[in-house]
Amino acid sequence: MSHDALGAALAAIVGERQVLVRPSELLVYATDGLPGYRKQPGIAVFPRTRDELVQVVRLLAREGVPFVPRGAGTGLSGGALADGSVLLGLNRLTRVLSVDAENRLAVVEPGVVNVHLTRAVAPYGLHYAPDPSSQAACTIGGNVAENAGGPHCLKYGVTLNHVVALTVILPDGDIVTLGSADGERDGYDLVGCFVGSEGCFGVALDATVRLTRNPQAVRTLLADFTSMDAAARATSAIIAAGIVPAALEMMDQATIRAVEASIYAAGYPTDAAAVLLMELDGLEAGIDVDVEKLRTICLDGGARAVRIARDEGERTRLWQGRKKAFGAMGRISSHLVVQDAVIPRTRLPEVLRLIAQIGAAERLSVCNVFHAGDGNLHPNIPYNANDPDESARVHRAMRAIMRACVDAGGSVTGEHGIGLDKIDYMPRIFSPESLDAMCRLRAVFDPARRANPGKVVPVRSCREWTQAPATR
Amino acid sequence: MSGSLPTAKPCAIPDTPLAHAMPGLDTCVHCGFCLQACPTYLALNDENDSPRGRIVLMRALVEGDLSLDDPAVQTHIDRCLGCRGCESACPSGVPYGQLLEATRATLTARRPLPAVVRLALGVFARPWALGTALAMGRLARGTGVASLLAGVKGRLGFAFAMLQSTALPIKRKNYTARGDGSRGSVAVLQGCVMEGLFAGTNRATARVLTVNDYRVVAAPGEGCCGALHAHAGDLETARTLARRNIAAFEKSGAELVAVNASGCGAMMKEYGHLLHDDPAWRERAERLASRVRDVSELLAAAGPRPGAALPLHVTYDAPCHLVHAQHISAPPLAVLRAIPELQLTPLVDADQCCGSAGIYNLVEPETSNAVLAPKLAHVAETGAALVATGNPGCLMQIGAGLARAGSTTRVVHPIDLLDASYARRDA
Ligand SMILES: Cc1cc2nc3c(=O)[nH]c(=O)nc-3n(C[C@H](O)[C@H](O)[C@H](O)COP(=O)(O)OP(=O)(O)OC[C@H]3O[C@@H](n4cnc5c(N)ncnc54)[C@H](O)[C@@H]3O)c2cc1C
Ligand code: SF4
Ligand code: SF4
Repeated sequence: MSHDALGAALAAIVGERQVLVRPSELLVYATDGLPGYRKQPGIAVFPRTRDELVQVVRLLAREGVPFVPRGAGTGLSGGALADGSVLLGLNRLTRVLSVDAENRLAVVEPGVVNVHLTRAVAPYGLHYAPDPSSQAACTIGGNVAENAGGPHCLKYGVTLNHVVALTVILPDGDIVTLGSADGERDGYDLVGCFVGSEGCFGVALDATVRLTRNPQAVRTLLADFTSMDAAARATSAIIAAGIVPAALEMMDQATIRAVEASIYAAGYPTDAAAVLLMELDGLEAGIDVDVEKLRTICLDGGARAVRIARDEGERTRLWQGRKKAFGAMGRISSHLVVQDAVIPRTRLPEVLRLIAQIGAAERLSVCNVFHAGDGNLHPNIPYNANDPDESARVHRAMRAIMRACVDAGGSVTGEHGIGLDKIDYMPRIFSPESLDAMCRLRAVFDPARRANPGKVVPVRSCREWTQAPATR
Repeated sequence: MSGSLPTAKPCAIPDTPLAHAMPGLDTCVHCGFCLQACPTYLALNDENDSPRGRIVLMRALVEGDLSLDDPAVQTHIDRCLGCRGCESACPSGVPYGQLLEATRATLTARRPLPAVVRLALGVFARPWALGTALAMGRLARGTGVASLLAGVKGRLGFAFAMLQSTALPIKRKNYTARGDGSRGSVAVLQGCVMEGLFAGTNRATARVLTVNDYRVVAAPGEGCCGALHAHAGDLETARTLARRNIAAFEKSGAELVAVNASGCGAMMKEYGHLLHDDPAWRERAERLASRVRDVSELLAAAGPRPGAALPLHVTYDAPCHLVHAQHISAPPLAVLRAIPELQLTPLVDADQCCGSAGIYNLVEPETSNAVLAPKLAHVAETGAALVATGNPGCLMQIGAGLARAGSTTRVVHPIDLLDASYARRDA
């Protein structure tokens, strides 16, 4: 089918206004949250109902056209980019289909914005626990595809722990239900397979997610350190003491200053080398005992001060500052890159030192803001892309940082996914056999490899593909 | 990240306002936090109609990936309300309002403005033409013609409904305002639309400032602030109007300039930016800009003095150019709280644009209505009899929307409420 004919066929399903075919209108869809990659779709289509979405996927199946699902496009691994193929925009499917407050379950369409779900269930005293920093923008569908985490996932678990069932349309047009609303996972854990599949296994039509009761008591603490090292050691000490905070986040000085210069200024001390933002929650009875323990560990570990948020307003400000930190760094220089890696928490102090050394050696300023409690690092480097020498140094530093993390026993992504960005790292951390197993798993869902092609697993790692190159 | 870094490209449109705005474009990190704050994105769900997307389009113009003549780009830039809701969500501090103005100015240099925009702007720039137009409007309102025609379908009917909604919905007695003038001298911008259709609000502004101990002085020669022109990309006319106002307010000798139309206040606070490249006026512009205050700021600084009871059920809608452009959110509430027995019900998404945005509702009626619809629904949820908001465009847009939806809820400027409350106290 020609480009024009496909555009017309799609428009016949969803209406003309829901289809973009002109290159000048597709440009904005050539990037996601990571502006380094630019891959422009040939067509973008935005179904408004589940029925339209099903018809669209079936048309694409009949015509053998590859497609890429896209939620809000906040992904940080280039996952939602379609190179000449069809972009399937899911941001118009925004209904919360049902809320079962008694059993603490909600069924949502994929385009529901994460924080909107929490807002919708707030009247029941419930919330949706996985809270990526991008929660004000990203969609549940995108969260499912990336198995998104967030500050509060330290205690409550990541997306996978909160999805009990999914209705998925496979790339060939078949609709399947994975998991079940009663939470029983008899047979193979297909929900576990689909969550984190980065759009390569099909499109989530709806998700049944677990809701979490709002805690009776919450305490938010901000500890202020004069060295990164001390903050990192305090983090390890807290975990070692057996306390499980709801969240435990670290920000360094460069990050603090960027946030304090923004409209999300939270009152972080701008002369601190690092701060730990910690939250405890649970029952009112006993919570202050843990607060005291945390405070003591921090003070013993060299904190200058530990501040406890006095009210909901202060708590919100402290969290907003943290969650908007990545965005706030845009003011430092004209361009920004972010790395995402996980290391064992015990290695935190040493890896942070290494990262600082790498930054210094390449004459770059590295801003760290990350989920310390999970050992999930996010070094950010602001730089000027107009300067080829600086760009080259950024390149080298990013690779060196990743190497340091992998050498420390870490993995190449904590939560942002592989997408396009990390695909070259895959052969370094997985054996050829493991990669081939991934290829075969994918073939079960998408034998024709039409869903989000070219992402996650390098084509050359798939034995079947390399043995029969003509099929590709 | 393993492979790719953002790269920079040479400028394809050197020496245009947009090319000079490149550093502002560079602040965008593409995080997407602005998407859910943007009324046109929420109404249309296309990133081309979102702040992040429009920034991509602007960059593509600078880098030559898209042409200034591309009709699609023009459409998406035209559709922007200029409400700056995105600035209030952006952690990176992208100066979106300035980027939009620069883009529109760059586009306008290449293509004529749509006829309806040219006509409207031409009228606003010429006091006699505006005077005639507004007098006809008042006549239509006074004779009841406006309310008759407000039911007519389409753009014309909406315009008459807007006109109809400028009538004051509450009774107000005459009273003589008294104060000791100890808070310093203030000149009040009378402006264009405000003086033409809301002259009563201008008088009320002078009275409530007087009651709160400001000494109100006249500034003959002031007029249209130029905001509509600047937002449409006609920066030259905007500059001419700005110079006229600067001269007039300087001559008045007033220490402060009070503005009761938030769109005008936002513009005047940016006179320094507007005249940045004019060496003869730059400093004068900056000095004047630093003396401009929204009337609610001045009143909140003075208390404001409480009035007599007005047992009315009111909800407050925050004009974009007050909350997003001037970052003023508490003072108007302080004004309303100074009125005893006034019942204030919060409005859901009060800081979302109503779709008025200057002359936007004349140019993009369809999008404007799509943006207005949720606002009307939220107003209905409050059950309030009055919506208070401090900008003529918003008063008319929401007022017309309510009238055409058959609602009995009316619109009113917060200053008129405070004034009515003072009038009762005095009586
Ligand atoms: C400022 C900022 C902070 C962030 N913080 C965090 C954080 O704390 N934790 C975290 O985990 N991530 C974070 N992210 C990354 C990103 O927000 C998450 O990966 C999020 O889950 C992406 O959601 P989205 O709707 O934007 O998806 P998109 O970017 O649109 O898509 C992401 C992937 O999901 C696929 N996809 C989307 N919808 C579907 C569907 N319905 N069915 C199948 N596949 C689908 C796409 O094909 C793509 O591969 C952050 C990003 C930014 C910009
Ligand atoms: S100014 Fe308003 S309409 Fe325009 S991009 Fe920003 S939020 Fe959207
Ligand atoms: S919030 Fe600001 S930095 Fe983020 S995408 Fe929007 S304009 Fe860009």
